[in-house]
Amino acid sequence: MKIKFKIKRYNPAEGEPAEPYFQAYTLDVEEGMSVLDALLKIADEQDTTLSFRRSCRSSICGSCAVNINGFARLSCATQVMPEYAKMGDMVIEPLSNHVPLKDLIVDFNPFWSRIEKVAPYLTPTSRRARRRGDVPARENDGARVTARDEEAIDKSQRCIMCGCCNSECNALEIDDRYIGPAALAKAWRLVGDVREGNSRKRLERLSEEHGMWNCVRCVHCTQYCPKSVSPLKQIESLRSRAMKEGVLDNPGAKHVEAMADSVKRVGRLDEAAMTFRTLGFLRSLGMIPFGLKMERHGKMPKPLLFPQIENIAEVRDIYEEAERLEKEDRERKKG
Amino acid sequence: MRAAIEAAAEGLNVAVVSKVYPVRSHSVAAQGGINAAIKDTDSWENHMFDTVKGSDYLGDQDAIEILCKEAPRDIMELERMGAVFSRDPSGNIAQRPFGGAGYPRTCYLADRTGHGLLHLMYEQLLKHEVFIYDEWHVARLVVEDNVVRGIIAIELRGGKLHRLHSKAVIIATGGYGRVFHTTTNALSSTGDGMGLALNAGLELMDMEFVQFHPTTLKRTGILITEGARGEGGYLLNSLGERFMANYAPTVKELASRDVVSRAEKTEIDQGRGVNGCVLLDLRHLGADRINERLPQIRELAINFAGVDPLTEPIPIRPGAHYSMGGIMTDVDGATKIKGLYAAGESACVSVHGANRLGGNSLLEAVVFGRRAGAAAARRCLACAAPEFPDSALRDSAHDIADILRRDNGETASALRQEMTLVMEEHCGVFRDSEKLIAGLAKIRELKQRYGKVSLSDKGDYFNSELLAVLELGHMLDVAESIAAGAVARKESRGAHYRTDFPRRDDREWLKHTVVRKEDSELKISYKDVNISRYEPKERTY
Repeated sequence: MKIKFKIKRYNPAEGEPAEPYFQAYTLDVEEGMSVLDALLKIADEQDTTLSFRRSCRSSICGSCAVNINGFARLSCATQVMPEYAKMGDMVIEPLSNHVPLKDLIVDFNPFWSRIEKVAPYLTPTSRRARRRGDVPARENDGARVTARDEEAIDKSQRCIMCGCCNSECNALEIDDRYIGPAALAKAWRLVGDVREGNSRKRLERLSEEHGMWNCVRCVHCTQYCPKSVSPLKQIESLRSRAMKEGVLDNPGAKHVEAMADSVKRVGRLDEAAMTFRTLGFLRSLGMIPFGLKMERHGKMPKPLLFPQIENIAEVRDIYEEAERLEKEDRERKKG
Repeated sequence: MRAAIEAAAEGLNVAVVSKVYPVRSHSVAAQGGINAAIKDTDSWENHMFDTVKGSDYLGDQDAIEILCKEAPRDIMELERMGAVFSRDPSGNIAQRPFGGAGYPRTCYLADRTGHGLLHLMYEQLLKHEVFIYDEWHVARLVVEDNVVRGIIAIELRGGKLHRLHSKAVIIATGGYGRVFHTTTNALSSTGDGMGLALNAGLELMDMEFVQFHPTTLKRTGILITEGARGEGGYLLNSLGERFMANYAPTVKELASRDVVSRAEKTEIDQGRGVNGCVLLDLRHLGADRINERLPQIRELAINFAGVDPLTEPIPIRPGAHYSMGGIMTDVDGATKIKGLYAAGESACVSVHGANRLGGNSLLEAVVFGRRAGAAAARRCLACAAPEFPDSALRDSAHDIADILRRDNGETASALRQEMTLVMEEHCGVFRDSEKLIAGLAKIRELKQRYGKVSLSDKGDYFNSELLAVLELGHMLDVAESIAAGAVARKESRGAHYRTDFPRRDDREWLKHTVVRKEDSELKISYKDVNISRYEPKERTY
């Protein structure tokens, strides 16, 4: 079957500044052929100047992620026929949220720098600290990791660093200093490891600006991850561990607390009050222009201060039940 | 990377130069596991015996002894660095049975052991602040007066040539699977280090021994781990028979890889195949076991062969997988050039001899990577930096300009295609004199034509075509070494099977093949095998 591929080309040597453009190639596609096979065939037979990254061609090395019909995918793990049947087109572009260097090759240095920022290596509790009893008994176990401990970090271990999640991340699109889902999944790999000695320090650092609280929970990272790493799940694990460990002095954690309090108090989100709780008085003043803009567009919640909802007693019952369950769980773990 | 970590831990200034980013290297695709005798009921001697027997007695026993003795120490070290090997119910490191092993001694991280360990090495590189020159392709090893001076490398991003001046260089460039048409190896596994070594005057050893993995996916050649058989998978022919019972009655599917590959090829050649394949049946293992122990295998079978192993058997066939041969080194990775070391699949210590056991390659990379790093560090601390010849950069620049200047020649990809088909046809699972001699002649003809290959991309930015030409040069050298060694070795041993000489011949051939380049011609010589503990015996499974 003949299928037309529209591939985004870019070569910095072609002009100052060079402009990207689309080039079409028609290819005879066989059943089972992957997008990577197609790119290789085009490069072998039609246009040897086409550049793209590739290596293992079995979805484990993470080299070949590109944008296929608008979404970040591994080109080796995407078959042409079903994709074409579904979308009626084959548009191949470089990953989003990354700067193209040539054709489908993007600059991955910012990706690696983000990974490096989370100090992606185990820093185990020192023997001396264990002897002194500075660490809880569970961490005292040294190299003994149970199957359950392994389970907690299993998904985060599957990451192949292909960049699909960062490419689709909405938070990264608006804040290019945001650390991004890939690095956060890696961070949980370490924070969630029972042998790690610096979990709290890591969580404090991750709670800083452009850190884990920047995630807007759009679920794209999880949706587009080709290896089921579920970065969002790992980000949530980081956040809830931070709350449990009392790393609370940051807007992210305060926002969560304010949200929980607001629901408990009035049964719904009291947005104005939450702003004060999250940012504090002075920084909330800085939000006034934003509030005026909201008002102009008719987006200001009214009234500004909410009355309690009618069935607030039911909401509080839910809270009580949740607190009871959590307590039970804690005691069971201790026992 | 293991070598770099060791050297960096000694306080040296270390850099890793790689044509791909370190986490992309092909160790990432190793699935099944890593062997070590860590249980009281096992012993390093047992591991050593299995490895010696698996090697068809061609492995050097002094090296194998080191490998097996030091294995448990390295496993524990990997755990301390941060690896989490899969656990048994009581929380100890779990082990699974593997082909050719008399004890279940393969430690694993589900079916992603290589991925786990490669990412771990990357983490440690960062921890030790090793500098990474990623997407730099090494153009030449700079050697003068038998002392290494450093390397010349091309930065692929902008095409610039760089000189890296160093006291020691460690080659760890992996295998050459891409020399063959059907291979489990990555597109980047092109034997660059072996080619560079030949050109620098080093010797390659036992190159005719190419491991054909018995279970690679139909069409793509993607690896299906031996762990699939280790967990209890069956191999079936078109009649639904577990045919391994006829070839290895006791251990059946868990015979050594060379034995299983030949059995499959025989079934297929005698008309009991299914569309050029045989079937790997996992259905009886049940969904839970497959999902827990072999999740990646299920994903690969579904994505790349359209088959769900829960409900259907997987069509598989043998494919080129691993290079037992490589750059000749001693047990510390040292070569005959001072300051130049090699480790991992690109090296030949030799621990695998004529056939490697599953689970021994990651182990070799870790154990001998560490030893090579330590040896290189000792040398660096003891000597001053040798001078770097000014001509090296100029010579490399000339070589590359020469390639870029050529016009109207054949493309590298056309030549590469031809080479892979020749190797598959003439140097495959079953070999004979006629096929091999014809194959060697064809490879030499291709080498002639290689000199006129031209490219249409003359640019500097990510010139993939130029990279393909440089890789092809190395692949042709490697292919010639394989074929030349195979023509000369008139016996069958391990993975090298001659239908015209079907028996092992210890009287004539219990020796290593050594090839080197002299005035661009290959010269063959031989070297004795180190035999310390286990005298050669007949090898049956």
